[in-house]
Amino acid sequence: MANTTEPAPPADAGIPDPIDRLAGIAPDSPLARLRAQRPEVARHAAGSYLALLEPDDPGGVSRREREAIALRVAVLTPSPSIAERHRARLRALGADDVALAAIEQFPHGAALAPREAAILRHTDRLTLEPGAATPAQIAELKVAGLGPRDIVTIAQLIAYLSFEARVLAGLRLLAEEA
Amino acid sequence: MSTAERPPFTLDVLRWRPWLETVDDVGPTPEQAAVVDQVAPSPESRPYYATLAHDLPALRERTALFNAIMYGPRGARRADRELASTAASLVNGCVYCTSVHARRYLELTKDSAVVGRLLDEGVGTDLGERERAVVDYAVKLTDDPAGVTAADLAPLRRAGFSDLEILDITHATAMFAWANRLMQTLGEGEPAGDPPAQGG
Repeated sequence: MANTTEPAPPADAGIPDPIDRLAGIAPDSPLARLRAQRPEVARHAAGSYLALLEPDDPGGVSRREREAIALRVAVLTPSPSIAERHRARLRALGADDVALAAIEQFPHGAALAPREAAILRHTDRLTLEPGAATPAQIAELKVAGLGPRDIVTIAQLIAYLSFEARVLAGLRLLAEEA
Repeated sequence: MSTAERPPFTLDVLRWRPWLETVDDVGPTPEQAAVVDQVAPSPESRPYYATLAHDLPALRERTALFNAIMYGPRGARRADRELASTAASLVNGCVYCTSVHARRYLELTKDSAVVGRLLDEGVGTDLGERERAVVDYAVKLTDDPAGVTAADLAPLRRAGFSDLEILDITHATAMFAWANRLMQTLGEGEPAGDPPAQGG
């Protein structure tokens, strides 16, 4: 949090692990015991969440931009629980309903600054059509003022959320089956 | 995920070419250099890790996660994890990831007929019951995570998969929703020279 003047999102109460929290996995439940058989997976999935959404040094991609990307991936995937988490975190950072709608309905909501629009266009492409990417898309981000580290961070963030949505889906099936 | 123009999937060793400058290009910090040396499994894949090293905390966590998912003890057979990874990569059109993980699956199973058909005909090709169950689950989870239901686990259960094995297959599939989105959007695979790649 060293290099940002933005307020940190609120600490999430209760279950500390981000995937357990969204999947509603209580301590000592069967799914908690199952996930405990893969402690390194849970640990580094949570570590990835923190590295990308609560970084010590956000560098050139602000906390609010990261949350907007996360909400957009969740809306497109779709993953309602991930979307709700990032709506709440955006509100905690000061986003109002118009700002949330601009992200969720992009490109049809309120107009966004060129940089934010470029980031969301890229988010849409990576979420829905990762196989259709081209070098021109990287050039577009550079024109919007993003550097190599920012571009890598954004790709990692979109990719992490795509991963998290599928882990949550698998855990949901195991819960439904039980 | 367009099926109109199917990419040329191959078992050949590919080299990954970045679309942006790597930390090697711009002069890595000692920490970046050390991490890339440590995590890049082959010369062909080094540019990939040297690209990801721009965001070192994210690369560190992702590498540890990847290794835990693909190589963690017990649970799903390594071949089943590689098959799920290959299926996800085929669906997402990731030629580089497919070449690495189809080769790993082949090394583990020696089943060149199945690997050849997967690459030539895609995920709908004829498979044995166990392989069909893994591939169908991986494909659906890759394509439509919101649409999967408990019924999608039934073929895996009939093939004898435990909760832990299903969790492992889920993780392997999900990890390639991640890997495919990096490998295909920060650069691309291209034909490499002779030495066999060890990683990806």
